[in-house]
Amino acid sequence: MFKLSRPAKLALHVANLVVIAVILLPLAAVLLGSVQSEKALHADTRRVLPLEVTADNFVVILTQGAQKGRIFDQATYLPDNIKRFYRAFANSLIVAASVTALTLLFGALSAYTIARLRYRWTLFLLQANIVSRFVPAIVLMIPLYIVIRSLGQLNTLGGVIIAETGFLLPYAILILAPYFDAIPSELEEAARIDGCTRFRAFFHIVLPLATPALAACGVIMFIVSWHELLIPLILNARPDFMTLPVVIASLVGDLFVFFNLMMAICLLALLPTVVLVMLLQRYIVEGLAAGAVKG
Amino acid sequence: MNLPTLAFLAAILAYPVIYAGYLSVHKVGLAQLRRGEFPFTGWENYGRVLEDPLFWVAIKNTLIFTAITVVSEVVIAVAIALLINQAGVWTSRVTRFLILLPYAIPPICNGLIWSFMYSFQFGFLNRLLFSAGVIDQPINWAGNPDTALYAVTVPYIWRTLPFAIILVHAALQGIPRELYEQAAIDGANAWHRFRQITLPMLQQIIAIILILRTAFAFAVFEEILAITQGGPGDATWVAAWYSYKISFSPPNNFGMGAASAFILALMIAAIALVYLRAVYRRVTL
Repeated sequence: MFKLSRPAKLALHVANLVVIAVILLPLAAVLLGSVQSEKALHADTRRVLPLEVTADNFVVILTQGAQKGRIFDQATYLPDNIKRFYRAFANSLIVAASVTALTLLFGALSAYTIARLRYRWTLFLLQANIVSRFVPAIVLMIPLYIVIRSLGQLNTLGGVIIAETGFLLPYAILILAPYFDAIPSELEEAARIDGCTRFRAFFHIVLPLATPALAACGVIMFIVSWHELLIPLILNARPDFMTLPVVIASLVGDLFVFFNLMMAICLLALLPTVVLVMLLQRYIVEGLAAGAVKG
Repeated sequence: MNLPTLAFLAAILAYPVIYAGYLSVHKVGLAQLRRGEFPFTGWENYGRVLEDPLFWVAIKNTLIFTAITVVSEVVIAVAIALLINQAGVWTSRVTRFLILLPYAIPPICNGLIWSFMYSFQFGFLNRLLFSAGVIDQPINWAGNPDTALYAVTVPYIWRTLPFAIILVHAALQGIPRELYEQAAIDGANAWHRFRQITLPMLQQIIAIILILRTAFAFAVFEEILAITQGGPGDATWVAAWYSYKISFSPPNNFGMGAASAFILALMIAAIALVYLRAVYRRVTL
């Protein structure tokens, strides 16, 4: 809005380049780490660019250890969890998709009533959701573990889905409520005068109007669920039910796993959400703002 | 229509929190879990937690970690939000396009990536500094007890900054242009415009970021697990790590874990109340 002087513009360019470099630096690290062999990382510990580029890290993960490739030729040990990459990826996908669907459905119903009905109890519900958002996962973990253990449900995807849905529902409601508040109520009132029930008005009139809100909330729910570590880590100890973050966490402290393999599996795990964020940026920006500030 | 929400809130949030309170005043170890009886012990778990020097180290580390991350996040977020608000500068548009990237990185991956960055022998950061000729001896970023806690703040700030930037940027766009134009006519320079217009208009959003980030930084877990596992020594033991280790590694003292987690929850609850007061005081949405 103000004309910038030349030096000012130059300073801004420099500042931008610094910020961009800091954003990209860890991503460069994961990329460069994942295309090298352990040997190359050992050989020259002062070199940034790889001595030679290899896809073997990805090959060994994606073939679940069947094809070892040249750099793992002499490797006698591969962590078992790496051999279950597809299982873990599928588990993560199932959990994240289910949690997204459930939080959207239940969250939309509640957010709508909070936005439309102004009673003491809806106000209380909103406040309960705000406070719930602050409950740290670690507090829930211990009782959830004991409850689910006593129910004999420690290793199921269902348990994780239920726990994550409950954990994320308050956040979904806080994101959705301001959107519903912004939808004019005249349309549904007209429909209700014509004999439509509140339920039908909600599903046939309000929800279609709220598509951008559902997109914003849905993509945020998917990302948060895809990233969630603590809940599946504690509830699922058996490899068949591990999600991707749990498999990755299991590599921590494994003395025989080297950075090249870790960076490769990290890259595979972060790609889906990076693609989502780049494609649906606008919705995420809106949703994050809506969830933190009243509409 | 609210039945599912209420059921979930009750089953996943309210009940476990209350149950955590129950466990925290009972003796709960693996032996008790097997038998299914938890003998009542009163305040013993709390007493043992409060007498544990490691707990106080964890609390101290948590407070330092939180103070550093929250303050730097607010300052950096305001600076970067102003930067990407410069629509006339083409590099600002590039930054704006990339700004959300760290939000897409799973926290555990972020932790591992930075443990590669920080590695003493093989780390990417040391490689860069060697190539640039800045150092001739490798730096032990996260393995040195004096610097480890500061080292783990950087990945956390990196990952959670986009959230703060987006909130500040949204608030910036809500400031009426006329204010700036009027001030420019009155002869205010850029610094004055920032102090007199921008900062006051950002006050509310800065308060929100302070509160939200404080509450979340209190419970930091993934980066600690991936980068230092609390080490070296007890240099990066934080509150959530303490509860996790006490509960889920031998001798699995769930009662003490619940008690320590409950203390953490109370600290965060205090922050949540401030938030409720500050932001949703007149809850009209």
